[in-house]
Amino acid sequence: MRTCLSDAIAPKVWKATRRALERAGVEVKVPRGQTCCGQPAWTAGHPDQARAVARHTIKVFAGSDEVVVPSGSCAGMVIHAYPELFAGQPDEEDALDLALRTIEFTQFLAKHDLDPRAKACGALTVHDSCHMLRVLDEHESPRAALAKVPGCEVREMAHADQCCGFGGVFALNFPELSGRLGEQKAQAAAATGAPEVVSCDLGCLMHIAGRAHRTGIPIRARHISEVLGS
Amino acid sequence: MVQSLARRKATVELTRPGDAGRAAAGWMADQGIVRAVLADDPVVDAIGLEPALRAAGIDVLRWPVAMGRREVLGLEGPEDVCGVTVPTLGVAERGTLVLEASVGHGRGLDVTNRHHVSLLMADRVVETLGEALARTFADGRPVPSAVSLVSGPSRSSDIEKISTLGAHGALTEHVVIITP
Amino acid sequence: MSTGRRRRNPGVAYSDVTGTLRERTVDALRDPTLADNLRTAGDSWGAGREVMKRDFGFDEMRDRARDIRRSNIRNMPALLAELQSNVRASGGVVVRAADADEACRYITDLARARGAHVVAKSKSMATEEIKLNEAMEHAGLEVVETDLGEWIIQLANEHPSHIIAPAVHLNRDQVAALFREEAGTDDVPTDREGLVAHARVRLREKFAQAEIGISGVNLAVASTGTVCIVENEGNARLVTSQPRIHVAVMGMERVVADWDEAAHILQVLPMAAISQDAANYVNLITGPRREGETDGPEEFHLVIIDGGRGALRGSEFEEVLSCIRCGACLYSCPMWQNVGGQAYGSPYSGPIGAIITPLLEGPSSPGSRDLPFMSTLCGACGDACPVGIPLPDLLVRARARSSSPAKRKAGLAFRVWSLLWRRGITYRLTMIGWRLGLRIRGRGGWVQRLPGPGSGWTKVRDMPSKWPPRR
Repeated sequence: MRTCLSDAIAPKVWKATRRALERAGVEVKVPRGQTCCGQPAWTAGHPDQARAVARHTIKVFAGSDEVVVPSGSCAGMVIHAYPELFAGQPDEEDALDLALRTIEFTQFLAKHDLDPRAKACGALTVHDSCHMLRVLDEHESPRAALAKVPGCEVREMAHADQCCGFGGVFALNFPELSGRLGEQKAQAAAATGAPEVVSCDLGCLMHIAGRAHRTGIPIRARHISEVLGS
Repeated sequence: MVQSLARRKATVELTRPGDAGRAAAGWMADQGIVRAVLADDPVVDAIGLEPALRAAGIDVLRWPVAMGRREVLGLEGPEDVCGVTVPTLGVAERGTLVLEASVGHGRGLDVTNRHHVSLLMADRVVETLGEALARTFADGRPVPSAVSLVSGPSRSSDIEKISTLGAHGALTEHVVIITP
Repeated sequence: MSTGRRRRNPGVAYSDVTGTLRERTVDALRDPTLADNLRTAGDSWGAGREVMKRDFGFDEMRDRARDIRRSNIRNMPALLAELQSNVRASGGVVVRAADADEACRYITDLARARGAHVVAKSKSMATEEIKLNEAMEHAGLEVVETDLGEWIIQLANEHPSHIIAPAVHLNRDQVAALFREEAGTDDVPTDREGLVAHARVRLREKFAQAEIGISGVNLAVASTGTVCIVENEGNARLVTSQPRIHVAVMGMERVVADWDEAAHILQVLPMAAISQDAANYVNLITGPRREGETDGPEEFHLVIIDGGRGALRGSEFEEVLSCIRCGACLYSCPMWQNVGGQAYGSPYSGPIGAIITPLLEGPSSPGSRDLPFMSTLCGACGDACPVGIPLPDLLVRARARSSSPAKRKAGLAFRVWSLLWRRGITYRLTMIGWRLGLRIRGRGGWVQRLPGPGSGWTKVRDMPSKWPPRR
């Protein structure tokens, strides 16, 4: 699953994900007609619109093997929210079926004990997105994947489990509060001394990097796929 | 129980029945307490607390007291007054005293005065809160009008979220555990 | 109810709230003292929570707490009937109030009938919800909050910033200033111990005068008709022992079946709320004083409020009724940690407040319909909740339920969005258009101004037009 954010902001991310998987010996298909998991409308309180788009996603991935997503947020949406979104719907079974086959990228690597044979990287800090941490209940898989990258030194930031302030529509509805949280996160990342922050979620990274750039905080951002698929 | 009470910032001493009266009176004298209001309870008599207090020069009143509300609350009269309670149970796990209101035991004895001394019989200590409540509210037993679970002297964290003692209840809590 | 009388519907949100929710968050963000005070509070709570988990088995107690509360809500009507019967059997009076109006009317009528002038109150969220203080003052009564934090904000004429620690947004110097004003003298201590000692004496004067004591209820135990009031200061004990009349006000959902359940919840509550394994005082009150007792109230009145709670049973929001009002979700919330409780404009702030304020207020509630949106849905609240309320999921449901002009506009936009994004071809076209737009507007790899809804983004952030983002 490419994710709409990757399509919109950084196609490099889904391409790097594919590269990493192929290097690890996985056969990867990228269905052409895919769009979005529907999360923006779901969290904005428009479930009917979310469902219409999610339905398309279910069709696109029907019958495929594991659906790997370079986003904790999108994976979380399918796994956790589709059951509620499609409860009582005629295609409820199809939705649940997809939910069972969907997995976040680093979790997939951990599950199948895969090595993407990435090129070396230096020091970095990891931002755990709230969806990874709390919806998918996952802290280890990004770090386990990075441990296989030569030269990679993970420096943990203070208040690592605090939200970065992106929150989807929240970023647009409450920009000042969102910006304040983003700044706190960027500062915590920079305080580790690492030059870059990586995460499994592009939304968080756009927001952290965007706020860091606006306020002059010295921290770069990359998606974890870009490190693993370098 | 002793450790739990200490955790709650209460002070504790263990005594035999024969020494308990003197020990309690001694502690009160050390605090500069000038008056004690005693629950009307057999334990108080059993340990000879009244005579020990008089010997220490401390004024003794027995519940119920014939006092106006202002004096009960310490707005009038001496400042260093001590309420003496007799718990029905102690809860070891949490350092909690269980006080029951009755004709002889005012429900405010442990909070209206600046100081609080509690006379706890060692065989009344149970391990958990669950046990204590099950016994207190057991089927067939008349339900007391007020049961107070007391775990340490009064505190407030309302100013700067740091715990400060002595908000409304007693500032001190001293528990005399009477072992056989 | 007589139809002649005009019914007040005061709503739950505060009536003196100004500006939009967003404007209030911006104001709060501008206040550096607030930020420091909240950070101190949040960090202290976080550290305490770790201790509760590590040394006191907090996590292991949560499943049972959740199951107890869910069962309480399922059996609510029967439990309330049992509670009522047992309170009456012990000599108390029980009143079931459908709404704020009925509850306030009962209490002010009682005060008038008994010739009361001064009312001493201990902390009660339910009384804030029904705006009881306003109603009593309107009826000519002097109302004094005796919980130290509540008294402080009463003096400051402010609303509380947290359910458990209402004055957490003020520091020692600010409190000393308020005390100086109240006492009419500069001779007020400035250290914490001194301030507390000062308050002790001032408030004892009120305990001595009050004819009526009003308290909240943390839990009501149906099997014996007992109300449990949990506190650290001792003021609730004085409120329920000194005045002649005690009125306890509770939301109808606060009932548990028996002492087994009560024991468990009474242990979980202080662990969740203040990171202690026990609160200083737990007052278990059953009816008025008994024959022969010489202290304690002569009358006990229990006012049980529906206020919209009954309607939540069986709905998709039923789980909010499990809430034991511990305030943990507030402390854990990054939004609350940065703006405090006052920005929410309701006595119930934080994640739980964002859900129940609009629910209790009713469908047409402009004061609170934005509240569920003031969240990143990070899930910290769900993790913090001792009774397992799925707060993030309920926030999403609350958003779906809310209705406003802005939301209807967004609804139209999402309709267009869903038409375009349910087909691969139209999706790819929007992506091409978007990426082209980014490239055109981008300078050095960044866009600094986005139009329309995107302006919310670029108000405080740049949008990367190249990835990885340039430095």
